[in-house]
Amino acid sequence: MPLRKIGELTVPSDPAYLEKVDQYSDRLFKKLPLGKNDLDDIAIAISEAVNNAMVHGNGLDADRNVHISYYLSARYLRIAVRDEGEGFIPDNVPDPTESENLLKVSGRGLLIIRHLMDRIECTILKNGMKMTLDKFFTEG
Amino acid sequence: MKLKSRVTDGVLVLEVKGKVMGGPDAAAFQDVVKSEIGNGHKQFVFDLGGVDWMNSSGLGILIGGLTTIKNAGGQLKLANVTEKIQSLFMITKLVTIFDSHKTVEDALKAYQ
Repeated sequence: MPLRKIGELTVPSDPAYLEKVDQYSDRLFKKLPLGKNDLDDIAIAISEAVNNAMVHGNGLDADRNVHISYYLSARYLRIAVRDEGEGFIPDNVPDPTESENLLKVSGRGLLIIRHLMDRIECTILKNGMKMTLDKFFTEG
Repeated sequence: MKLKSRVTDGVLVLEVKGKVMGGPDAAAFQDVVKSEIGNGHKQFVFDLGGVDWMNSSGLGILIGGLTTIKNAGGQLKLANVTEKIQSLFMITKLVTIFDSHKTVEDALKAYQ
């Protein structure tokens, strides 16, 4: 089965919309061959990517949106999150696990996404940054 | 996210339920913690048994709570930390800054 789009959603750059994104994703993933643990991992990773796009990509500018696209193949689920910002480089964040950063309230999103998803890719576009998150279906 | 507080043995127990993902949750959580500090509470237990999952903003909410309580001269213990939250604590090394207990009762005993 080739990669095909199964859904898309656009939300303003307001973290209050994270819940709407989560509800949309929940409905979309109901029939996928994924267990609760994987579904929770994906939900957390999507919330991180969308929040990053709102805050770091779009600078919480209410006139800029975040676009989430969902794709499915026989082997994996892909979620692409695109902002409308200037293209922030996600690797340029301080290591949140260093002792001097442990009590900071933010800066852990990318670390968590990398741990929970099987493959991630960041692409700087003309009008923003796209983060692609893949989760493979396990055998059996 | 839903919050419910009660006082047991003089300790403020804050039950956290649902998905903790930042946005309006952060302000709501801080408001409750600050309000209970204002009511004179110094010893807190955050009961995380009802949390479905939390993201890094949720972790930030817990850290914010810990900092607020410590700055007011108080103490915080966590109880019923789910496997999912514990794995996030391990990834982020936050396991070193939180005092976690298996149950609320265990956390309360640790205050005695």
